[in-house]
Amino acid sequence: MANLTTMLSRPSRRPVARAVEGQEIALILVLLALWTALSLGTDTFLTASNLSNLLYSVAPVALIGIGMTAVIVTGGIDVSVGSAAAVVMVVVAKLIRDGGAGLPAAVLVAVAVGLVLGSVNGVLISFGGIHPIIVTFGTLNLYRFLALRLFENKQVSGVPGTLSFFGGGDNSETLGIPNAWWLTMVAAALMWCYSRYWATGRHWYAIGNDVGAARLAGIRVHRRTIAAYAVTGLFVGLAAVVLIGTGGLVQQNAGVGLELRVIAAVVIGGTSILGGRGTVLGTLLGALLVGTVTSAITLLGWPSDATELFIGLFILVAVGVDLVRQRRRSAR
Amino acid sequence: MSTDTTATAAKRPDTPSEPQPGRGRRLLDLILTERVALLAVLLVLVVVWFYVLGQQGYLVAPYDTDYLASALDTMVPLCLLALAELVVIVSGRGGIDLSVGSIVSLSGMAFGFMVGQWQWPVLPALVATVAVGAALGAINGLLIAYLGFPALIATLATFYAYGALALLMNNNAPISTKPIQDLHAITRAISIPLLGDSIPDLPLQVATFLLPVIVVVWLLVNRTVYGRKLYAVGTNDIAARFANIPVRRSRLLAYLVSGLLSGVVAVVTVAQFASARPDAGSVGNGMALPAITIAVLGGVAITGGVGRVAGVILAALLVVWLNAGILLAFEGSDGSQYQLFALGGLLILSALLNAYSTRRGRGGA
Repeated sequence: MANLTTMLSRPSRRPVARAVEGQEIALILVLLALWTALSLGTDTFLTASNLSNLLYSVAPVALIGIGMTAVIVTGGIDVSVGSAAAVVMVVVAKLIRDGGAGLPAAVLVAVAVGLVLGSVNGVLISFGGIHPIIVTFGTLNLYRFLALRLFENKQVSGVPGTLSFFGGGDNSETLGIPNAWWLTMVAAALMWCYSRYWATGRHWYAIGNDVGAARLAGIRVHRRTIAAYAVTGLFVGLAAVVLIGTGGLVQQNAGVGLELRVIAAVVIGGTSILGGRGTVLGTLLGALLVGTVTSAITLLGWPSDATELFIGLFILVAVGVDLVRQRRRSAR
Repeated sequence: MSTDTTATAAKRPDTPSEPQPGRGRRLLDLILTERVALLAVLLVLVVVWFYVLGQQGYLVAPYDTDYLASALDTMVPLCLLALAELVVIVSGRGGIDLSVGSIVSLSGMAFGFMVGQWQWPVLPALVATVAVGAALGAINGLLIAYLGFPALIATLATFYAYGALALLMNNNAPISTKPIQDLHAITRAISIPLLGDSIPDLPLQVATFLLPVIVVVWLLVNRTVYGRKLYAVGTNDIAARFANIPVRRSRLLAYLVSGLLSGVVAVVTVAQFASARPDAGSVGNGMALPAITIAVLGGVAITGGVGRVAGVILAALLVVWLNAGILLAFEGSDGSQYQLFALGGLLILSALLNAYSTRRGRGGA
């Protein structure tokens, strides 16, 4: 309400400034600056193969981040995505190796398994009345257990290249961009439209801003919450397909720590961990920023451990800037 | 004690108007609503069950008191970090500390440098390590309490930053020089004087690290003014501010205590590994997740203001002895997989029970 009245009484003089509030333009500028610096500073950054590698390696984090954005917008969180990805990966890898399944069947199974795992989280959270972080800490362990049982104590080796269409090789590109990144962009565009223009998409924001008010406004809170986690599971399935990619080896520690990288990308992208605010576009840019830094550190020959230091600092800067802006907004 | 009564008053319906339920009913209510009672029952069940299984010959080794005592080794870091999470989560407003594992790694490396490279005596190095941990925790607290970062985000960021610094400090190499290896002696098992014959030898670190810290944390939380303030801030920080309680400072101190306890754990893990490892706090799923799991299992409400030391200790014991039993029940590495299952299942069930009992509490009131 306060926001609305200030907006009405004080017509925005600079419409551009409103867009900056989404943090996206700032991120784009940072990315452009980084890319320019890297192109000038190294010979290898601005090459087709490096950029293609960069986009491919960012795709899984960005894909799951699309779903995670919805979850965090509702005021929740999902730390089980890494384990869930491991489950999907082992199921799909064994299916295409031992069952000889084709690409469509494999993708379908991946998405279905992901959906089921995500829905379990959603049902426990909305009907069990448990805090999302507790539920997903629990399912993080349970899904990892499930994955390890399915691995049967050995990694899955000799996975055929059934899914190489989404892999990282040269022949999995369209117009010079990896198919995995095309998939990410299409999915992000769909989710962007859905969460911006569909009523049920807006409901996620309403729930994140005030659950009680959302319920009184007639929003089916349970159903929308479950949907957010189920969608995340769906994207975990797609990310697993990308991660298997050209095949080869699926190791037992697949997906360990993935959840924190995804959450970092979402938060750097300007989504508020408190819920109610955030966009898919920001998440995509956040994932790109993390990927760029990782790639830059390798190219510059710095120790690879420095990557996580920068991820940590980026999170602090991104959220810090957001906090300052929020304070200024409420002080007005 | 007043916090205990506020905690249980929220949980247990006081319904004087209704007829008094029978004794069995009351016992069931007690177990369902009092986390400590439930954990004690579960603990007895687990120990008896595995003991019987062992007697029947279903386990690969006997599940006896010697084995239980040696399993306490793994409890020391787990329980200390779970207590750290207790303090932080109780402080409220989404309090959580994901960075404990990284603080363990980083302050452990600092300890490694002090003892292993610079040849400091152990005691000053120990104090300095704990101070390093406290300083790292204070940074978390500053970000959260004074700059307004959500706890999950601030500690996620410092989880990355501290972990990376620990790896960068010594180029990803562990420090295991002679003085560090000698520290392994503090993890040996000792027999307790006077009682030594009747009870099994206990790991020395239980007496030197675990018990003193438990006592200090219990005193801090239950017997100091700061403890009262902490629960007040966690229950309702606006009310606390009106009561002239320094909300920000109380919260900052909670994260400082968490870092301090992580510093203690750093020394313990260095001694256990006989080596200061840069990845000590991040192996497997890291140390934060199991610690948070045990805290929640112990009845700490993630919303803040509710949680008892006794619950956390019982939960840690339960998890450790359950894990020890599971290890014996399976051949090979299967046991470690079922441990994940047990941990996840316990966490979700206990949280469901929490939600059920509070809902019933609300319904009755």
